[in-house]
Amino acid sequence: MDDLERQLQQALARQEAPPWFEEKVLRAVARQPERRSTSWFGSAYPIRWATAALATLLLSGGIAWQHERQERIAGEAAKAQLQLALRITSSQLHKIEKRIESIEQD
Amino acid sequence: MRYALIGLVCLLPAFAQDIKFPASLEKLAAKADEVVDVTLDSSMLQLASRFLSDKEPDEAHAKRLVSGLKGIYVRSFQFENAGEYSPADIEAIRSQLTGPTWARVASVRSRKAGDNAEVYIKTEGGQITGLTVIASEPKELTIVNIVGNIRPEDLRDLGGRFGLPKMDGVNAASKAEKKDE
Repeated sequence: MDDLERQLQQALARQEAPPWFEEKVLRAVARQPERRSTSWFGSAYPIRWATAALATLLLSGGIAWQHERQERIAGEAAKAQLQLALRITSSQLHKIEKRIESIEQD
Repeated sequence: MRYALIGLVCLLPAFAQDIKFPASLEKLAAKADEVVDVTLDSSMLQLASRFLSDKEPDEAHAKRLVSGLKGIYVRSFQFENAGEYSPADIEAIRSQLTGPTWARVASVRSRKAGDNAEVYIKTEGGQITGLTVIASEPKELTIVNIVGNIRPEDLRDLGGRFGLPKMDGVNAASKAEKKDE
């Protein structure tokens, strides 16, 4: 066995972890969620919530605007139809009245 | 049962209309040069009414008139040539305007020009609840059917606004027929 092999064997040899290592790791893991909850404002959650709220607001606003726009178009069309119907009715009644008047004059 | 209910709901608008336009009349649209087809049921009138201004006198009067109405139905056809519609088309409408509630309040006939016009009023409980106008000329046919409560003052008011004549006879639903040569 040459020198290189011996060095490798030593370097790769299994070594027991020091007694404080396990405790340190467990303490670090236990501390993790605590740190997450205290740093809510510092994390990405507020941005996500704000984005979701804004998207919901924009979506509902867009739907309401579209609904109102469609209702306005339908309402204006109905109004135009109504005015047309009243114009035709009045024009026909006016014609009849004129003819009755002219007959009475004769 | 469910289908019967659906059928009934579908038929409700048809019942709201006082007279039914026959299929032959609807087919005239294909022959006509100009067609006016207005069908405004109660919900459409309510919608239209919301867009009528209270400040504009014409619109305010229309709004008041519409408030008591259940429907307005107009069919008007203008033809290039005479004889495109038949007397049977008109008779199909006229035959529906019989009975104790309907009264013809005006009828004008011109044999020379071939013009005819009739105004029918429907009264129930001393109130006008319908108005139908049938006006026919050789190249033109117009039918108007208004359903709902029509106050005589509305008709008189609109006479000055929309050119509606002051039909004093309408109030009493009296029958006045005039005929010329």
